[in-house]
Amino acid sequence: MRDKPWFAVAYMFVVTAFFSSIVIGFARFTSARVKANEQLAFETAMLEAFALAEGKTGLDIHEFFLERFTKPDKESGLAYTLTEDGNLSGYAVLVGGKGFWAPIKGIVGVSADGNRIRGVSFYEQSETPGLGAEITKAQFRNQFAGRRLATTDRPIRIRPTGSKLADNEVHAITGATQTCTRLEKLINEDLARWRDEHFSSGGNQ
Amino acid sequence: MSPNGQRVLTRDIVIDGIWRNNPIFRQVLGICSTLAVTNLVLNTLVMCTALTLVMGASCLTVSLLRNWTPRNIRMMVQTLIIAFYVILVDLALKAYWPEMSRSLGPYVGLIITNCIIMGRCEAFAGSNRPAASLIDGIFNGLGYSAVLLSIAFFRELLGMGTVMGFAVPYFATNWDKWIIMVMPPGAFFTLASVIWIFRSIGLRRDAK
Repeated sequence: MRDKPWFAVAYMFVVTAFFSSIVIGFARFTSARVKANEQLAFETAMLEAFALAEGKTGLDIHEFFLERFTKPDKESGLAYTLTEDGNLSGYAVLVGGKGFWAPIKGIVGVSADGNRIRGVSFYEQSETPGLGAEITKAQFRNQFAGRRLATTDRPIRIRPTGSKLADNEVHAITGATQTCTRLEKLINEDLARWRDEHFSSGGNQ
Repeated sequence: MSPNGQRVLTRDIVIDGIWRNNPIFRQVLGICSTLAVTNLVLNTLVMCTALTLVMGASCLTVSLLRNWTPRNIRMMVQTLIIAFYVILVDLALKAYWPEMSRSLGPYVGLIITNCIIMGRCEAFAGSNRPAASLIDGIFNGLGYSAVLLSIAFFRELLGMGTVMGFAVPYFATNWDKWIIMVMPPGAFFTLASVIWIFRSIGLRRDAK
């Protein structure tokens, strides 16, 4: 029987059906969890962009996000808005674009007056571990807090390590020039669009 | 190794996998992942664990099916089995360890194309008993892991001054970090040195 040509076909069919059904079953079983993880990564990044994530985990983050963040609308220039003590206290501008290997997606937290950065965070990136992926580390991200956004041209600039910085500039990561160049570009494109929208629509200046 | 299905000594399988026939410095297989994931020890450790599990399970499954699988489609069946286990590992990481899944990126999925697994399935599991095949798969995985971890140790230490993310005294402070070690060229230099060192030791032993 094993030498018959149809046996190989039937065998392959049975084996494939068997292994595929296990994979499909497991994927179904974990899909809710995988989705929740992705959503949580996004919400964590949201809080991190305003340095509010410290000491919070899983459910705390989710509840805080639902309570304080409002979905983007026309008035906010298509950014999420943060409410603290009942007042609007910041805009979370979504930024994204091409990184060195794959897309980088992140959030820039901007103060309520639209002039200063409160923080940045990233929830999707596949940069080189140890080099480009260092953009997710606090050491790099903390530089952004308190930087002033330039009102013309590029809102924020990433300069080579060691150079003197103006108040809209931060230092790049040594050895990750490509990531930093692309990061600067993708942050500025989305941030400049938000800035122009925000100030032209006469948002609360 | 025994092409005609005779019993093979477990001790020989273990020594072959880790030393005499080590996948990296003897067979020079699986070099792609060796170069890609070895700049941080933690990532390497998870990658090696995943590979060892997948290899053990794949070899076992291939061996269990060896008397049924028609010879002309055996490669297809092997690839299917390997892909099956890799997808399970990938899904498990995504669901239960999302941070690690994110930092390994596409590399987990690429275990499917790691030629060590295919090589062991074809060279050993296809013609040996399940228990021996399982041991062979696992110890080849451990042999791979040992080499990868030693490469990762030196790359992370010399390139970033840390090991497993912990700062190492002197290296984290006074050492002038060799950035090139964490970049792709550093992997080539380290791998070449490792192959050179281990093969020299092997040669000296053979000469005795």
